[in-house]
Amino acid sequence: MSEQLTPEKTDLKLGFVALLDCAPLVVAREKGFFNDHGLNVILCKEASWASIRDKVSFGLYDGAHMLAPMPLASTLGMNGNQTNMLTALTLSQNGTAITLARKPYLELSEQINDWSDTDAVGKAFHDWVKQTDKRPVLATVYPYSNHHYQLLYWLKQYQIDVDQDINLVAVPPVQMVGSLADGLIDGFCVGEPWNSLALLRNIGGILTTGFQIWGSHMEKVLGVTQEWAEKYPNTHRALVSALMEGCHWAEAPENREELMQMLALPPYLDQSARQLTGFHSPFPMHQRMYGENVNRPDPEYGRFLLQQMLACGQLNEVDAETCSLVDQVYRRDLFTAWQ
Amino acid sequence: MTKETQLKVLLIDDEPDRVKALEDALNALGHNVVCHLTQPNELNRHVEQTEPDIVIIDMDSPNRDTLESMATMSRQNPRPIIFFAEQQNDRAAMAAAINAGVSAYVADGLQPDRVKTIMDTAIAQFDAYNSLRQELDKAKTQLADRKIIEKAKGMLMKHQGCDEEQAYSTLRKLAMDRGQKLIDVARNVIDVLELASGASR
Repeated sequence: MSEQLTPEKTDLKLGFVALLDCAPLVVAREKGFFNDHGLNVILCKEASWASIRDKVSFGLYDGAHMLAPMPLASTLGMNGNQTNMLTALTLSQNGTAITLARKPYLELSEQINDWSDTDAVGKAFHDWVKQTDKRPVLATVYPYSNHHYQLLYWLKQYQIDVDQDINLVAVPPVQMVGSLADGLIDGFCVGEPWNSLALLRNIGGILTTGFQIWGSHMEKVLGVTQEWAEKYPNTHRALVSALMEGCHWAEAPENREELMQMLALPPYLDQSARQLTGFHSPFPMHQRMYGENVNRPDPEYGRFLLQQMLACGQLNEVDAETCSLVDQVYRRDLFTAWQ
Repeated sequence: MTKETQLKVLLIDDEPDRVKALEDALNALGHNVVCHLTQPNELNRHVEQTEPDIVIIDMDSPNRDTLESMATMSRQNPRPIIFFAEQQNDRAAMAAAINAGVSAYVADGLQPDRVKTIMDTAIAQFDAYNSLRQELDKAKTQLADRKIIEKAKGMLMKHQGCDEEQAYSTLRKLAMDRGQKLIDVARNVIDVLELASGASR
């Protein structure tokens, strides 16, 4: 770091959800990167994105691991109270996938020779959906998430009608794999580790990934309120620097095993992380936490999100004013100035 | 109370004592508690069938995201549910609810003042339960167990850099998440953290 500015606030609480891409926060805590930047950070596990949003919005937390669309949804006042939020750091890219239950997956396998041929997979899935007796039940997690938009985007791409052809439901991530095993749902679109855990338990197969649907995109961010960012700029900068170091460490392949052990500690992901030690998905999800252009917030992605929100009826129109909000949410300028 | 003012309330909470107390309090107000789900695997179906006017849910429940998803998938849901704050626009009331650990979703079009009494009741019940639980937890813990819990708490405090209360609430939350006894979670935490500190040496 070029210069060390004194943080206005040093004791912080950050919220996170137990997913693989909370790794940068866990690493920054366990490896002492927060302390190196003069911060004492407590990490608090939350069971829902809704609680993350509420606790950040009401100042119970200083910031949190958030789904990339959340600061925008909150700024737009969607499904909850309106709070201006922003991000100056992308914690991860990609890492979502659409998984189908084992039985239909095997049926589809008879039609598909090459699973990397995304178009063939989409068309085969379309045909299966149209000729199956009962409308397939597909699950998603949270309305303001890449998973949700990607699933709808992909279905539309292959002319599958969300209202007519399938039954779209919401299921909490912790119940996703169990629901698939029990036959309550036929497929889901969710983030890691849940797709890999479904593969490991041999109850489903991956149809396609978020990376294949959209290309590289922001997945999780450090979200804070605008009010907090204006009140504690030096703290914000120190937090971003410490988390960048966490991202860097978490991305290095040689740290992978130690990372999984760290994530398996009781306050974080629990034993599910340990199951993934040594597991490499046959279907690369291109989950990345560090690298060129990985961590810089991207307003273009924000504008793309507005189109997705429009397409699935969360927004009725996107005017010039809404478009200009995107630059206040995805703060490429702050990130760049702090490097 | 007449049928018109009676509201259908869906409770989602896995603490049986708290559910019972809140159900009694709401019934006393003349409302109709339609369902309380301890294991809401099929929340979608329940909401469709019961058509609640208001859903009261534990802040720590992962099903909050599910409810919010359902609210946006209104094509499936004949009665769209909206987040409590959207209707109230009252930050103080929201903050009180968050601090008590309760959140609510109401059917679109419901008058705010009718929801207010229900929320106040829920917040009061959650607050009362929280203090009662703390008392009970203290009283129930035997001396031998307490030593182990103290040790786990100490290790967590050191490991997490948190204070005693936060370490205790982490243990309690782990116990709730896994459906285990506090003492078993404490033993497990000691095992794992001893292993972790040994491995990093």
